[in-house]
Amino acid sequence: MIISQKKLSRRTLLRGIGAALSLPFLDAMTPAFAGSTVPGGKPIRAAWFYVPNGIDMRHWTPGDEGPLGQMPSILAPLQPVKDDLMVLSNLTANWGRPLLVGAGDHGRALGAYMTGMQVYRTAGADLRLGVSADQVAASAVAQHTKLPSLEIGLEETRQAGNCDNGYSCAYAYNMAWRTESQPLPPISDPRQLFERLFGTDVAEPPALHARRLAMRASILDQVSGDTKKLETTLGNSDRRKLDEYLSSVREIEQQVQRAEKDGLIIDPGMDKPYGVPPEFPDYFRLMTDIMIAAFKTDSTRVATLMIGREGSTRAYPEIGIADGHHPLTHHMGNLEMLEKVSQINSLHLRLFSEFLVKLKATKEGDSNLLDQSMIVYGSGISDGNVHTHDQLPTILAGRGGGFINPGRHVIYQRETPICNLFATMVEQMGVRPEHLGDSTGRLQGLSLS
Amino acid sequence: MQSPFEGKQPLGVVYNTSMDRPDAALALALLYGFQGKRESRIGSISINGAGLGAAIFCDLVQRFYTPGPLRNGNQVLMPGLAADGPLPADLAMVQAVISRTEYVRSIKRVGDTSLPEAVIRNGVIFNAEAVMILSARATYLAKTLDLDGVKELYKDRVKMLVIVDSGNPQDAPAMRKVLAEFPSPVIFCGREIGESLPFPGAAIDKDFAWTPAHPIADAYHAFRSGTYDFPSYDLAAALYAVHSDKNFFQLSEPGAIALNDDATMKFAPGPGKVRSLIPDPTRKQDILQLFVEVSSAKPVIPTPRVRRPDAGKASPAPAAITKKPGS
Repeated sequence: MIISQKKLSRRTLLRGIGAALSLPFLDAMTPAFAGSTVPGGKPIRAAWFYVPNGIDMRHWTPGDEGPLGQMPSILAPLQPVKDDLMVLSNLTANWGRPLLVGAGDHGRALGAYMTGMQVYRTAGADLRLGVSADQVAASAVAQHTKLPSLEIGLEETRQAGNCDNGYSCAYAYNMAWRTESQPLPPISDPRQLFERLFGTDVAEPPALHARRLAMRASILDQVSGDTKKLETTLGNSDRRKLDEYLSSVREIEQQVQRAEKDGLIIDPGMDKPYGVPPEFPDYFRLMTDIMIAAFKTDSTRVATLMIGREGSTRAYPEIGIADGHHPLTHHMGNLEMLEKVSQINSLHLRLFSEFLVKLKATKEGDSNLLDQSMIVYGSGISDGNVHTHDQLPTILAGRGGGFINPGRHVIYQRETPICNLFATMVEQMGVRPEHLGDSTGRLQGLSLS
Repeated sequence: MQSPFEGKQPLGVVYNTSMDRPDAALALALLYGFQGKRESRIGSISINGAGLGAAIFCDLVQRFYTPGPLRNGNQVLMPGLAADGPLPADLAMVQAVISRTEYVRSIKRVGDTSLPEAVIRNGVIFNAEAVMILSARATYLAKTLDLDGVKELYKDRVKMLVIVDSGNPQDAPAMRKVLAEFPSPVIFCGREIGESLPFPGAAIDKDFAWTPAHPIADAYHAFRSGTYDFPSYDLAAALYAVHSDKNFFQLSEPGAIALNDDATMKFAPGPGKVRSLIPDPTRKQDILQLFVEVSSAKPVIPTPRVRRPDAGKASPAPAAITKKPGS
């Protein structure tokens, strides 16, 4: 690795009028970066991907414990990255269960999953849950990054109203909870997400904002002056990295602009916000590309992505499924409906696999982003037909900076809280909460040592 | 803690056992008998100090008394098993039962059992009101006391903790922690209680013979050959836990449980909040008869409640229909 004599700050921004752009990790930052509190010199990222309505578990769970071999059909899309992930079986989100409160499994599932706390039944403003695992992690690393965390959603958001048997929509539509009563709504508009990351830190005058949007000016054009100045200070390797990075930013910009243009012909029945790519796979790819860019630029180290709100009724015409996801999961054993659920599950996993491949291809020093990450993919419901909240479908991808030995299927004892996994992750991020939800301790078996 | 149905559910029983004696197996049968009569329900069973076979045994006893599909995994907790160290070999008592293929079971490996500290806590969460029976070493019950919100949970929902003394040594630090921190009333069921109530072995051959394969009878016979009576340590504790208001036993003045040098327990009246059970000779025959009748009862298969078309009008909805096999 070439180490430049210039100690470029990790938080250097390329600035222009109304724009500020973070930088990727460059060799020139190494001396400054190594002096941070990050263990091993490189930051660890954590992300939670939440899939609603459970999974067709018949085709999810590998048969044996140990090294991952041939994956079950739903997990088959992960075959190319199976050595970079773990399948964790038998974890439980106890507070998602009916317990003594009764119906409302979809209303509880997401909140109970992310917090390990009881979801207070209310459809009003008196929300009561707990701090979500991602926000506990964010509290440990927020001082290092532009954004403490990034909340992404692939469906419209609602923050009020009764969504399931007296449970507020806020519980089903938000993964991240900063406090027990304050959710952090996910951003589902690609442009808004992009601008949150790569736009200016300074509030832009409305007139300028409107003018820039109208002109569709590239952020790269606006920071070109700073870019040129920086280039003169960098070595060849860093110049090449910077060029690749700026190209990728431009590609995302173009994707967003294309999406906005295409958005004009979205079928209104799809109920999507303006600017969202009409095809779900493109939407998923675009939003995860932005997440990768956020991690790459160290704009944030913590992210959540809600593939759908809990109880989502999204149809998947891209794969020939016109029925809503949630109704299909109440299949009552109907094999045709089950097959469609499997196809939806597989589509999600194919897109998640693409995301992991891109993370792995993103170099960071002598490592890559996937190795520096802990990416959870899972649901607070296992069997969507009868609403079970134990034996949850759980994948942990990445090496977490080296402490995880992936490529294995681990079967835990039943009732092991999913929060044991999250507690282990946040500890790896540098925070040791006395308790994390209903966790009973660290999750053993992630490392072979 | 939000629970609109509080007080309307049967009393939950959280049983922590080493499942290494006939009285433990019979206590399971007694608790399922109470469950069949809707006098209580099993909240959770957890095992420490025994091998995987003990968990398989508890599971197949559960399946024996509640045949049919498991209730979607939500409200039936698989037995907990302490498996964070080398597992002891299975005792003949359970080995003889689990080797019989007639018994349906769900557990084949440790991964099918539950995490003991989680299942103890969750067994309480599942119930509006619960009682706990600690017959095993206190290791895992003590662990639960360090979990978030658990002391408040126990204070709100656990009616009492009944500690059983069968003469085995305890996990002294864990027991001291339980005695110091458990927030609900603690009852000591001393050895003399179990020994004053010898379960009549002859009843096993007579009253459990309604089926050719009964796991409790099999366990009894595998524990020791011949017909023998045995102390009712866990049975007595289970009876008091579920029916503390029926005056089967008397209660001592408050005192404390002390640990001897060999970590066995003894009760001493004086300063303390623990009360000890005192045998009542006048109730001995009633108790033994109840033990036999309830523990040998046939499984009660609950059928779904049927809503009549006129339900909700003047006439009350029908009660749950119960059906005994063969009846």
